[in-house]
Amino acid sequence: MGVPGLMGGIREYFGNIASALTTTAKGMKVTVSHMRRDAITVQYPHERLPTPPSYRGVHILEQEKCIDCQLCAKACPVDCIEIESVHHGRVLEWQKFSIDYKKCIFCEFCIPPCPKDCIHMTSEYEMATESADDMVEDLLTWTGLRAQDQRTIETSAAKKEGRDPPPMPEGGQPGGPAPGTAAPDGVNATSTAVPGGPAAPGGEPRREKEAKEKAAKEAAASAAAGGGDAAPAGGDGGMADKMAAIRAKIAKGKS
Amino acid sequence: MEVLMAQIEALLGTSGALTLTIAYSVCIGSLLGFITVYAMFAIWMERKVAAHMQQRYGPMEVGGWHGWAQSIADALKLLFKEDLIPRDSNKFMFWIAPAVVFCGVFAGFIAIPFAIGVQIVDLDLGLFFIIAIASIEVVGVIMAGWASNSKYSLFGAIREAAQVVSYEVPAAIALLVPILVVGSFRLGDFNAWQEANGWLIFQSPFMPIAALIFFIASLAGAKRAPFDLPEAESELVSGFHTEYSGMRFSFFFLEEYASMFVSSALMATLFFGGFTLPFVDISSAPAPIAMGLGMLILLVKTFFFIFCQMWLRWTLPRLRVDQVMAMGYKYLLPWGFLCVVGAAWFEAKGWGFLA
Repeated sequence: MGVPGLMGGIREYFGNIASALTTTAKGMKVTVSHMRRDAITVQYPHERLPTPPSYRGVHILEQEKCIDCQLCAKACPVDCIEIESVHHGRVLEWQKFSIDYKKCIFCEFCIPPCPKDCIHMTSEYEMATESADDMVEDLLTWTGLRAQDQRTIETSAAKKEGRDPPPMPEGGQPGGPAPGTAAPDGVNATSTAVPGGPAAPGGEPRREKEAKEKAAKEAAASAAAGGGDAAPAGGDGGMADKMAAIRAKIAKGKS
Repeated sequence: MEVLMAQIEALLGTSGALTLTIAYSVCIGSLLGFITVYAMFAIWMERKVAAHMQQRYGPMEVGGWHGWAQSIADALKLLFKEDLIPRDSNKFMFWIAPAVVFCGVFAGFIAIPFAIGVQIVDLDLGLFFIIAIASIEVVGVIMAGWASNSKYSLFGAIREAAQVVSYEVPAAIALLVPILVVGSFRLGDFNAWQEANGWLIFQSPFMPIAALIFFIASLAGAKRAPFDLPEAESELVSGFHTEYSGMRFSFFFLEEYASMFVSSALMATLFFGGFTLPFVDISSAPAPIAMGLGMLILLVKTFFFIFCQMWLRWTLPRLRVDQVMAMGYKYLLPWGFLCVVGAAWFEAKGWGFLA
């Protein structure tokens, strides 16, 4: 065994040197070849990776379509959706539609049950806040709709009606409504006339209290604006007019 | 140095010991400034090289253009950080260790010839001086590790001692090969020889091997990956400087990058012509141009080797302790001896390719 062992040892010794040199050279070739390639990371705050169309980000609510049926809140596995509204016949007076993003798991279970297709998930994912209380997002005032999200809304509406989804917008003006916004609005106008929306769980005392608060607020607003058209921050167009009329009626009934 | 002293005497009208003091102060001040600026640049460069080898961008924000001011920001941050000293540490040793570590490398800069006339002292035993003074760093590291009163620090220091002491031997043996050919320890003589005859790396077949051995051994001496066992983040937190923070920590960093510079500059000076170019005679140019050009050439060569060190760092994984020892004693040392014997033989027979 002496001589073969010795030869084997010598072979191993020189083999080690050879493999060390060749493998190091190979490795160095690999690393330097990567230096010539472009970086695959993006400079995040300045540029972002595109989100997929089905991205599940912060919710957005089409307030004028919503009928306060509470199905999304019931579907929510973590009970993070809170909805409060006062019903005046078919017209709703919104108090609250908030999602607690401390609890939300972005499962998208709240989207399919909606009979009006009025709640959607957007591509917005930057939700860092300075305090935990700010994590509760009020969807009545949150307007973070992007062109991309508008497309998501239209696609779901089109799917429901059996149409082809609208084409991918080129470039897309961020935030600006895409040209197809009128169609779902028209659908909304006819279908809101479903009689007998589900009664709001609240009872008389709360409604009274809220009405009182509203009246006080309305009085202050009209005093400041000098007129009846003090539109709420999130609402727009005909909805605001209707709301103003209802509030005026409430105020008159009280006095 | 003599030029500087003459300048100072002419300018300030001093003489003797005072001139010498002023001249040394100027030299040390400019050297400190150079090391600081160089270290900041090298750290930025290292981060960029690392990032691009991993297909990232690296620092991009501070200062605008490719994050050039990142190191300055980091240095400022370290300056203003709280200086923590562990309660049960040996205060004096803890306090003085970074200075000892830095002094060892800083002293090495004294003998490096940057260009014709740009050398603080052209020592007769310049090479020997650099190799010898660099060993002080080990003492500082052991002091740091022991004074920290932390097991991680002590492990790091012990590994450093074992590793650096082992690798100093092959490094010094490999340096004997060019010394045999040139016949001098004076670094200025290496530049003169190579200016006259060509780069030493081509002198004999043993030169490239000696250069490789010196390069690997200097990697180990500077605690660079794949020989970063004394730091070994995945095993020892941060090795011997685990307990250090703020300014003292930055001294260890400065030392690492400064020793990279010293070993790379030695590599360039001994094997790759120093501040000379093969076919261009820059020493015949007027003095200021020759100085500037020489410094530029040496810096380019040095930064090439610094880049090679970074390149290796981001290529190879860390060796095991037994592998480090085997590499030093089983491979580098015998081959170093072989190179010395072979080079001596070539020299005796006059077979060298140059001169």
